[in-house]
Amino acid sequence: MRKLTLILSAVFVFVLSAAAQDRTITGKVTDEKGTAIEGVSVTGSDGKQGTQTDKEGNFRLTIPSSVRSLNFSSVNFETQTRPVGSQLVINVSLRPADKQLEEVVIVGYGTQQKKGFTGAASKVDTKEFAQLVTPSIDKQLQGRAAGVDVVNAGGSVNTPAKIRIRGYNTISFGASPLIIVDGIPITTGNLALTTNSNAIGDINPADIESVDILKDGASLAIYGSKGANGVIQITTKKGSKNKTSLTYDGTMGFSSISEKFSVLDAQGFVNIANEKFTNAGQAAPAKMDAVGTNTDWQDNVFVNSAFVQNHTVSMMGGTNKSTYYFSLGYSDQQGVVRSNHNRAFRVRANLEQEANKYIKFGNNITLSRQEDKDQQNGSNALSGAIVSALRALPNVAIHNGAHATGYNITGNSLGQGANLRTIDDNYVNIAFVLDNNKFYSDKYRIIDVAFVDIMPVKGLTIRSQLGIDYYTDNSFLGYDPRHGDGFSSVGRANNGQNNILATTIQEYFNYNKTFRKHSVYLTGGYELSQSTTRFYSATGTNISDLFFLKENVVTNTASTQSVSGNYSKSATESFFGRVNYDYNNKYFIQATVRRDGLSSLGTSNRYGNFPGFSVGWRPTQENFWKFKFFNDIKLKGSYAIVGNPIPGFRYLSTYGSAPYGNIGGIAVSNVGNPELKWERSKKTDIGVELTFWNNRVNLVADWFKNDIDQIILAVPTPPSAGIPGNNILRNIGAAENKGWEFSVNVDVIRKENFNWNMNFIYTNIKNKVKSLFPIGNAPGTEITNPESSPYNIIRIGESIFSLYGYRYAGVNAANGNPVYYKANGSLVQRSVSTGAYTTATSLNDGVAGTASSLGPADKVVLGPSNPTYFGSFTNNFTYKNFGLELMFRYSGGNKIMNVTRQEVLLNQKFANSGTELLDRWTTVGQVTQTPKMYYANDAIINQNGEATSRFVEDGDFIRFQNIVLDYRFNKATIARFRDYIKSVRIFVQMQNVAVWTKYKGSDPEGYSNFGVDATVAPAIRTTSAGITVGF
Amino acid sequence: MKSLKNIITVFAIVIAIVLSGCKKSLELVPFNAFSDETAYSTPERCLLALNGVYDAAQSGDYDPLNGTAHSVRGYPFGAAALEQNEMRGEDMVNIATFFQITYQATYTPVSPNNVNMWINLYLLINKANLAIDGFKFALSKGIISTTVAAQYEAECRFLRAMAHHELLINFSRPYLDGNGNKLGVPYHDYAISSPASLDKLKAHARELVSVCYDKILIDLDFAETNLPAGANVVRAAKAAAIALKMRVKMHKGDWSIATGVVFEGNKLIPNGPINPLVWTSVISPIGGNKLEQNPNGAFLNNSTLESIFSIKNDALDNTGVNAALAQMFGPNVPGRGLVAISPVIFNSPAWRCDDKRRDTSTVPGSVPLAPTPTNMIIYGNSNANTKSFFTRKYIDYVNQADYTPILRYAEVLLMQAEAEARNSGVISQRAIELLNTVRNRAIPAPALNQYTIVSFADKNALIKAILDERRIEFLAEGKRWGDIHRLAMDPNFSTGGIPAKVVNGFSNNTGLYGCSLPIPPLNNLAIAYADYRFLWPIPQDELVQNPVIVPNPGY
Repeated sequence: MRKLTLILSAVFVFVLSAAAQDRTITGKVTDEKGTAIEGVSVTGSDGKQGTQTDKEGNFRLTIPSSVRSLNFSSVNFETQTRPVGSQLVINVSLRPADKQLEEVVIVGYGTQQKKGFTGAASKVDTKEFAQLVTPSIDKQLQGRAAGVDVVNAGGSVNTPAKIRIRGYNTISFGASPLIIVDGIPITTGNLALTTNSNAIGDINPADIESVDILKDGASLAIYGSKGANGVIQITTKKGSKNKTSLTYDGTMGFSSISEKFSVLDAQGFVNIANEKFTNAGQAAPAKMDAVGTNTDWQDNVFVNSAFVQNHTVSMMGGTNKSTYYFSLGYSDQQGVVRSNHNRAFRVRANLEQEANKYIKFGNNITLSRQEDKDQQNGSNALSGAIVSALRALPNVAIHNGAHATGYNITGNSLGQGANLRTIDDNYVNIAFVLDNNKFYSDKYRIIDVAFVDIMPVKGLTIRSQLGIDYYTDNSFLGYDPRHGDGFSSVGRANNGQNNILATTIQEYFNYNKTFRKHSVYLTGGYELSQSTTRFYSATGTNISDLFFLKENVVTNTASTQSVSGNYSKSATESFFGRVNYDYNNKYFIQATVRRDGLSSLGTSNRYGNFPGFSVGWRPTQENFWKFKFFNDIKLKGSYAIVGNPIPGFRYLSTYGSAPYGNIGGIAVSNVGNPELKWERSKKTDIGVELTFWNNRVNLVADWFKNDIDQIILAVPTPPSAGIPGNNILRNIGAAENKGWEFSVNVDVIRKENFNWNMNFIYTNIKNKVKSLFPIGNAPGTEITNPESSPYNIIRIGESIFSLYGYRYAGVNAANGNPVYYKANGSLVQRSVSTGAYTTATSLNDGVAGTASSLGPADKVVLGPSNPTYFGSFTNNFTYKNFGLELMFRYSGGNKIMNVTRQEVLLNQKFANSGTELLDRWTTVGQVTQTPKMYYANDAIINQNGEATSRFVEDGDFIRFQNIVLDYRFNKATIARFRDYIKSVRIFVQMQNVAVWTKYKGSDPEGYSNFGVDATVAPAIRTTSAGITVGF
Repeated sequence: MKSLKNIITVFAIVIAIVLSGCKKSLELVPFNAFSDETAYSTPERCLLALNGVYDAAQSGDYDPLNGTAHSVRGYPFGAAALEQNEMRGEDMVNIATFFQITYQATYTPVSPNNVNMWINLYLLINKANLAIDGFKFALSKGIISTTVAAQYEAECRFLRAMAHHELLINFSRPYLDGNGNKLGVPYHDYAISSPASLDKLKAHARELVSVCYDKILIDLDFAETNLPAGANVVRAAKAAAIALKMRVKMHKGDWSIATGVVFEGNKLIPNGPINPLVWTSVISPIGGNKLEQNPNGAFLNNSTLESIFSIKNDALDNTGVNAALAQMFGPNVPGRGLVAISPVIFNSPAWRCDDKRRDTSTVPGSVPLAPTPTNMIIYGNSNANTKSFFTRKYIDYVNQADYTPILRYAEVLLMQAEAEARNSGVISQRAIELLNTVRNRAIPAPALNQYTIVSFADKNALIKAILDERRIEFLAEGKRWGDIHRLAMDPNFSTGGIPAKVVNGFSNNTGLYGCSLPIPPLNNLAIAYADYRFLWPIPQDELVQNPVIVPNPGY
């Protein structure tokens, strides 16, 4: 600090030493071709004097003699500084802004010029997807940046995308990146109580100026304990001084599911269902009715052309001391499941005002309201929309006038029609449920960032910033008492209120000093972030009348009432500092340190330090560099230690509420481990950035390694210990993500009327578990039943959450039994009727073998559940006024456990099934992959609850993600409107045009975190058209 | 240089803010839970902690072991426990998938139904042990009195004993097999409260069945001594400890008047003459427990004196639609129709056709929301929309507030009857009287129809009648497996293992149910006593995490 003060005083003295004597400078500003440029701001080096060029590019400025240079700046040109010697005329030719050179990276608590940036970050050009139909930014990051894997599972319009930056960096806790908007971390996730929801949807994508994704240690170290999963920096738009523009963006279109599930029709169902029963020695219960009813339940559940629209009106501009950006947005997305809906109303107002040359203040605020409607989505839920649509009997009608509701219902199940029994397992009439049950969430959000910048001396900015992120959700759930989930409780109404208030206080400075060829950039400060969650809900069951459960719980209408609630608070306190040094734009070095204190840790481990270092070199700046072919080369390397924090109070042993009926009680709810601390990620990155062929090719390649240790694992305790959850958390695991990223951007053709830009991104990630906890008394080599999934394994040497199960050999052609490989390679068959295992000599073995078994020892790793490579390939063409973008994404190397096939489509119940069952074994000698059917023996025939190679499929795909065709009207065409219209662009586009994959499920990205596809809505395809008008 | 001052001032302010930094803002504690240091700091909290142990008996966290969400279910002493004990026997039939694995004995070390019984019984045991430590701590600090501390500990030890006994009948061979010289379960009489205390457990191997029975009885003796004598259905009282001792000694085959079932039973049954025609002719001197007039009396009202100990459920806190007694055992409308009565018992000649407990006079398929004192079976739709007979003991479909019956006075009388019958060299008159006291309230004209000494060819015929009476009286109360288990080595009354059953999902669609109708053909599900499947497998997780525990052979 003392040194800094010294430097500052030195600078100050230097500035004051100039004397005062005025003179007037005139001149002309042109571009490289000599065309005059209007509106270039010309300012004296002390910032006190300023003017702008007129239409002819001329300027006139009076300056004191203390001003030694003039700055010429304009939005689309490189800023130039010209020394003022004795001359009174200064003519300047400005060069167009070179994107590569002038681009800045939004780093933590400041910005850095890209040329001097030694970390690894991807900047996503928001223009590329600003008009795509999507309510939130997260889903549009797919394929836009190397190292960033974004999976948008299922066709729900409200669910957040899953974002993984440089692999899966944890096992038990959050693996999503930290999301920062205008410098303040915001709350993200699927937070609504009764519906899916996406908190990042509160940011209107049209308001986003830039997205910077920080990936390596050097960029993340400044985020300390929260940096392990990467950081996405979102910067919203700001106005420009002395310019005003009004823009309208509008898009409308239709969504549909990309592919229906292939299920049996009525006659097919009758045949298959009866065979299930007759094979089991029971009477055939399925019958076509007299009118040959053939219902396609998917047609009832899915909407074929769901209307979607986005509209944003934005205004930006400023005076010479202020800038503003203001927008109103409306987005309305009907989902493909007909009850699924998202609607957002968003307002943003960004304002910056200079009080004087020392003080500036600003405020960025978003007000948002998001409404979500949804349905039961559970893959096993009795009224789960998708599962019900697939299982519903196709030979019964949706409606039945004879039933009081008008729907076809028997008991509390789907109506049985002509069948001799109702659908198994109480599956409901999904049409009734979607029409009458209500899942609704109404959310309001305020995200406000207010700051004051004090700039006491040149190069020094001290910022005091306060961020408030307030989220409130009012959720309602109403279950109709007549049928479905509300039947046994005679109606259920539930209201939930969830408030999350996150505040962040930041005090930090940026100091920038260049002397001769040395540049120093210092950042340091303090941050305190606190988060409070308040929740309560009220539930009434046994509702006196249907009338009372349509919108809200109503006083005294439920004969049984209950309330619940909770409150929690957490805080993080941090100190941070960063030093950048750059010699002559050639050598770069950076050091960062952050010290974090976390309220979620015990006192002995509460604070931790997180350092980071990086270096860079631009050989093209060296005098000895001869290869002029290269416009720029940068070599860089970085290393840092960052963390992943732990939520809650898991270090404490606690007693929570445990009522015994209506008698209050408490019982141990957590056995804590006071030694807990954050998970640690040691990140290494080595990279090169090349620009060549007249700046037409830009190539970035990075090798990275995330060495993760202190991974918190729920170390199992013997169940007989009687510890809640049967585990105690410990920092005990280790893993690594290693790989390389490659992206290349080529201006293939640069002609006056025709441009072709090509962008290719490739990422390769190897994930490997390195150590785990001891099991029993031996060192642990694997976790065979990770808490969240039975289909996965965490095994040393393998990728985290690899799929794990039995090897399927096929069907015994002699008897239709499924056959598996035992660990020793021998065959074992499982009787479809009794579930007993016997040996088999071949896949055509008619002789009953001896009793055998298939057990945990016979399981093998069937493949990684996360992609090992992914990327995109984008081509942009412009021809005259036309533009065409074609974007392809690809991903692969992973396997998907198709539980939808296993449990739903191949079920052995009295329920509809997938057409795959048409291939079932029926006759001796038949070679097929689908075993003999046997009523009710799903678990036996399909090994439900286990992964088998029969259902573990390749996840590789290439997706034609987007096609966008646009047309910009000539200035001449709109000339007669020029008083009020400046530009018009129209476009048509299609999202998710096609997928090429071998995956048999609905979509190769329709899987959860761990590579399990469990009956999610099929992916959405959206076709839309829109217009952008500038006023 | 004024500006320099300003700079320094600004920095000073910034640094002051930083250093004043909100150190306290990190010192947060949970709002919704006590730290374990404060959970026993007042007498009120001690009582809350005791109630929390009962809660662990009422309902538990069901881990489906397949990655889907955990949920509250009727483990270890709710509907799930009762049903599994029925599903292991032959008197009820499984309809849907819920208990198919148990019904067909296809369980493995990773079958959720069996694993969750183990998990939740030990969770109850550890909560009891933690609470015992807590009460001792509170006593040492003078927070609660010696009397209160002893009573609370007694309640915890009652639950601990009950939980261990439930483990033994599922995971271990019966006592009669070699007088308890087979492997039992680890009997945990100490708390696991921290990572460090796991070490003790990991050195604690499975004890012999006989050792476990000894420890159960030590706990129950302590409970009997320290529990209050007054009746209390939902908390353990002295009568509950004694009745549970009767059951445990019955499993031990200790029928004797000196130490066994009769010794305990005599504390709850007055030594005088019994008039079986008057249901109140026997009233317990401890707790005042007695029969209700009607066989359904204890179920129409959860809190009668016939119930010695039940687990409380009510509208506020119950095991939910997927695990409540009425939902599980009741017909598909308005319940779920998952477990029905089997023709094995329904058609049994041992069950009089005019027995009130089999009265099915309700209109078939009607909604059974208005139970009557005797109408205990409903003919209705099953989960598979087939026709079946369901129990009506559990009636609260809406609020799911039926208590789980654990010990009823009827059981005390029938245990005593069996013990008297076995102890006697001849046909025991007192045993007949005890049997009749329970049975007479369910049969018409009991004075004419009750059992007499001539009803039985010999002593064993009487015992057989008592055992049949247990199947009828306790149908759907989860007692069938206990009887199969304890009698497996009995020379005269063994079922030989898991008895044959009707096929999974059996229904009355073809009219096979009916009093006096023959029992339909039984599926090939009988499993000999010697078969490994007679025992449940020790859960895989236990074997993996705690190698000192040896598996049950065969799995």
